[in-house]
Amino acid sequence: MSRAATRAACLAFVLLAAALAAPATADAPKRIVALTPFSANTLAALGVKPIAIGQTLGGDANFAPTLALAHPNGPNMEQLASLRPGLVLSSPTWTRGNRTMRNLDMRVEVPEPLTVLDMYERIEDIAAMVDRERGGRRLVARIKREISRATRALKSRPRVMLVLGVGRTPYVFLPNSWGGYIMQLAGARLVDANAESRSGFARISDEAIVDADPDVIIGVPHARAEDLDGIRDYMRSNEIWKLTQAGQENRIYVWGDDALLQANLDVGSTISRVRTRFLKNR
Amino acid sequence: MSGRRVLVVAITVAALLAGVGASLALGTIDVPLREVIDSLLGRAEEGPAKQIILQLRLPRTVDAILVGAALGVAGALLQGALGNPLASPDVIGVTAGSGFGAILILLAFPGSIALLPVGALVFGLTAATLVFVVAWIGPDGGGAGRLILAGIAIAALFAAGTTGLMTAYPDRVQSAVFFLAGGLVSDGWDEMKVVWPYFAVGFVLAVSLIRPLDRLALGDDVAASLGTRPRLIRLGAGGAAALLAAASAAIAGLLGFLGLVVPHVIRMAGGTASHGFVVPVSAIGGAALLLAGDTLARTVKPPLELPVGPFMVVIGVPMFLWLLRKAV
Repeated sequence: MSRAATRAACLAFVLLAAALAAPATADAPKRIVALTPFSANTLAALGVKPIAIGQTLGGDANFAPTLALAHPNGPNMEQLASLRPGLVLSSPTWTRGNRTMRNLDMRVEVPEPLTVLDMYERIEDIAAMVDRERGGRRLVARIKREISRATRALKSRPRVMLVLGVGRTPYVFLPNSWGGYIMQLAGARLVDANAESRSGFARISDEAIVDADPDVIIGVPHARAEDLDGIRDYMRSNEIWKLTQAGQENRIYVWGDDALLQANLDVGSTISRVRTRFLKNR
Repeated sequence: MSGRRVLVVAITVAALLAGVGASLALGTIDVPLREVIDSLLGRAEEGPAKQIILQLRLPRTVDAILVGAALGVAGALLQGALGNPLASPDVIGVTAGSGFGAILILLAFPGSIALLPVGALVFGLTAATLVFVVAWIGPDGGGAGRLILAGIAIAALFAAGTTGLMTAYPDRVQSAVFFLAGGLVSDGWDEMKVVWPYFAVGFVLAVSLIRPLDRLALGDDVAASLGTRPRLIRLGAGGAAALLAAASAAIAGLLGFLGLVVPHVIRMAGGTASHGFVVPVSAIGGAALLLAGDTLARTVKPPLELPVGPFMVVIGVPMFLWLLRKAV
């Protein structure tokens, strides 16, 4: 699905959800800022419109004013304070900024899931914060149904190396990362050289890659759409990766958006895209 | 004091006052000047504007003044004590040590982000202590050359540690870039509460070293004949510079350029190397430069706030080169 179509579908869903959702009680925070795509999309799905959302590369929840985000604080504190938010849904990435927000008497919550399994609980947390518990349960049930549909009938389980970044340095997604877990749901056997890291990413050696001989290599460059072709060609010219099954069969691809990098609600459609375009295991 | 020096003092004080005004009045959100003044005088009504002025801009302005002054003084002390125009807090290992301490917290213990200033301070002072220990033990201990070489070695050690951490946590390196580039952050008074005693001790020590440093400038033998103990003065100046530079790094990251350039600019502009002039005017000049750089860094592309290090270089280098050409 194109980005425009995704955006239109998202907007339609927001409007529908907003129409169906029960009104929040007087206690629910009225002025909410959602700094992550996950929290913004969850609010949208619950029919709650935030007063501002965090700007994200490739984000499509274009239904509220955006705040530019930058290290180390995240949002600009002056801009955020001027919005007088009653609740800020933030990210662990902005730990330093979260402390400042609390000093400015803002209520700050960090309901950001690390994995798909974690996501259901976080959705229900957000739903409780905005007094939409019933909507939260429905949303979780819908996502579970979508994932169940998307993971049916796996014809094969290819070895897949999912690489973070634009270079040829193999920082790979591990099973405990957001994208790594989705890959496994899609039927991939992740090439991770048995590396472990709490961050979900690790640098593995080129020798380990040749030894693991992945069938598919997918780069997740976190880059602009117009740069993707160049990045793919660059990755395909890697002399070491050319030695693998993926290199010899020209199955080195580049993923174009943030769906494998950051938590989001479209897990089912992401799994379907991965299976159709890259794993070819339908 | 000669007319030239009076003019230099007047210009730096005017630059400092202008910097304070700009830092308080300018930002991402337009706050009318009247409201800025009312907030500072405690007459403003509760609301975002008052929060922005009192809890974001005022602490940041104070941070910039203290850090700029501290780095200017640290550079002046070290250049005087070591008799080396290239001396700056980098030379005694403080910058590398503070960098390692901060990156350790940012990358390995991001959940304990509140400890960032403590990490920078502790490791900055640890690095300086190691440099002094290495430079002072053995024959000919306490000489300027030995101190500089020990500083280079210890700085390399901590820099290697920083690189190691960045390699071990590649996905978190982005959060360290701002600290390494040097920049102030709008985060209230929390960090200043931790580090202000180190600034206070460093400044008091610096003031007490002004006359001994002037004697040291005559050479170790002459200074000794005047009753000054060169090695002790060097140790005191190094200790004060270490305190000031480590406390600065805890608040604003790595801004080594300021400590190197400001004392030279003041010396060349004033036409004197007297520490009674160079140390206090470097404090004022450093504060003015950092205020100007920080105000630019947060207003040039709002709402994004850019690291201040490059802006100080843009402001400071042309001035420095112009003075250098005139001096030559």
